[in-house]
Amino acid sequence: MNSKKINPKLSACTALLAGLSLLPLLGSAEEAKPTPATPKPAQRQLKLGGQGIEQERSFEHIESGKWTGPKTADGQPDIQGHWSNTIANHNNFTDPQGGIINDPNPNRIAHGPREERAPSRVSDPVDGQVPFQPWALEKVKDFQAHFHDPIKPQYIEPLARCAPGGVPKSLFWHGYEISQYPGYVLFQFNSGTRIIHLDDKPPLPANIKLWNGDSRGHWEGNTLVVEVNNHNGKALFGRSGEFISENGHIEERYIFKNDGSRYLYQAVLTDPTVYTRPFTVSIPARKWTEKDEPNGWHFEVEPATHAGNNLILDHYERVCTENNGGFGLVAAEGKK
Amino acid sequence: MTTLTSFKRENRLTSAGMAIIIGVLLSGCLITQAVAADKKIPRLSHGKPDFSGIWQTTSAADYDLEPHSNRKDAPPGAGIVAGSYIPYLPKALAQKQKNFAARATDDPALKGYTLGVPRGIYYPEPFQIFQRKQDLILVHQFGHSVRTINTNNTDHPKDPYDWWLGDSRGHWEGDTLVVDVKNFNDKTWFDRAGNYHSDALHVIEKWKFIDPNTVEYQATIEDPNVFSRPWDISVILYRHREKNFQLIEDYRFTLDYDEYYPPKPEKP
Repeated sequence: MNSKKINPKLSACTALLAGLSLLPLLGSAEEAKPTPATPKPAQRQLKLGGQGIEQERSFEHIESGKWTGPKTADGQPDIQGHWSNTIANHNNFTDPQGGIINDPNPNRIAHGPREERAPSRVSDPVDGQVPFQPWALEKVKDFQAHFHDPIKPQYIEPLARCAPGGVPKSLFWHGYEISQYPGYVLFQFNSGTRIIHLDDKPPLPANIKLWNGDSRGHWEGNTLVVEVNNHNGKALFGRSGEFISENGHIEERYIFKNDGSRYLYQAVLTDPTVYTRPFTVSIPARKWTEKDEPNGWHFEVEPATHAGNNLILDHYERVCTENNGGFGLVAAEGKK
Repeated sequence: MTTLTSFKRENRLTSAGMAIIIGVLLSGCLITQAVAADKKIPRLSHGKPDFSGIWQTTSAADYDLEPHSNRKDAPPGAGIVAGSYIPYLPKALAQKQKNFAARATDDPALKGYTLGVPRGIYYPEPFQIFQRKQDLILVHQFGHSVRTINTNNTDHPKDPYDWWLGDSRGHWEGDTLVVDVKNFNDKTWFDRAGNYHSDALHVIEKWKFIDPNTVEYQATIEDPNVFSRPWDISVILYRHREKNFQLIEDYRFTLDYDEYYPPKPEKP
């Protein structure tokens, strides 16, 4: 699409979106680390549990198998706590440490050979690309072409409007907290909350569509297996625009290491209306505990006020600041 | 009873002996019942009441906390305020009246805003409580907003922000969960009638089981910028017991841009 050809009906919208488009830029300016002008011979050191978003460039595989760690009273592997992905944010789905596609700011574009960065989140097929049907690939390219020039509302990433991150993006958008209850695993994400049913309540009727889908799970040893249906298809996988549709199905496997320090997320995404074949997404995650320093992106905790000497952590309210408004509120505030 | 019948049939006891046995059995039954009534309240393993479940009020409180006649947008109601009326300061009452006049457009709930505390509790939609020893997580279906009540002997932050849902610190007084909530922003209302508060709002909630499926929810509300004295409200919450009832995600504030996603094939 040619960005010069603006539908007159959209012109008011465009003015508005020019302001709104700053949202993702501001977000990335805060997050992206400028690459030095003179390339260094050695890569910047990354540290698990350190500062910054990127914590490692490669990660260990974890096999499904027995769970030998502690269990909750109702018999689930006890994996409660603060978790976050170790690789990158949602700037780029298939080149996670590669920066935002078509970023006009040269300081934010990744330099150096591709193999020096973390692998694609698409682990199968081996080319690391989402096997899109031609029409869908065209839509993704179109989104990428306009992400920095959002002349239409659909070029605004829904997360910038405080929509829930959806599956799987929530798993690489800030840290999150997992808690467990008889019959449930609860994910409190930075943007959105997922209730995973382990109970035997039936799935929701198929015509009810949700940002986070409808999640039904069970434990197989060290692995939480979750079937996700009822997607509304609206939560893009990142600033690179990949998506699943309302017809999609996701089978997730959260494979926990027996020492409770890490898990590997592996999900098979199937959607015969968007993809040419099912594909697999892999995301590594690590647990953050009281032993870690707070991290402004992965581990946004504060020491709680209490009489004792031990460290108890608070995590403040998870309500997106533009939430309660998004598009409409931005318009209303723009008039003032 | 089977035992007694068989005793009687076998005729091995005098009537006096029988009376004593019945007396003993009856008193035993009464004691057991009293204990059972107490035990019937669900409890976590540490013995405190377990509010886990999906709750909702049948109260019409959200239309208007105060007594009101019927009107086009509300049924008549006696309100839920102790003493019937909210003790507004004169200037604040004028603001409330402005809010009331503009309620069809200015009620934050219309935009899918997080409802705040205590409105989220008596808003006529379900919310689910997930409870552990150290906290209760409340997931409200409306807006799918999520609130934590800390029950880990911690106090409010020393350097707080203003939050939509405030900062909630709970403790147990017997079987009553008492929650102190403050550090609010001023962006929520109490109801559709424009009753409101400032960022100085302070809410003290009391949660108490009446029976295993019914909770009495009381709140004391104070805000020196808006009210002349603290005031109390009370509603009853009922457990959803419909077969297979479950929360359904409802991020209402996203509906305004629903049409722009996801990408769809071009129409021929």
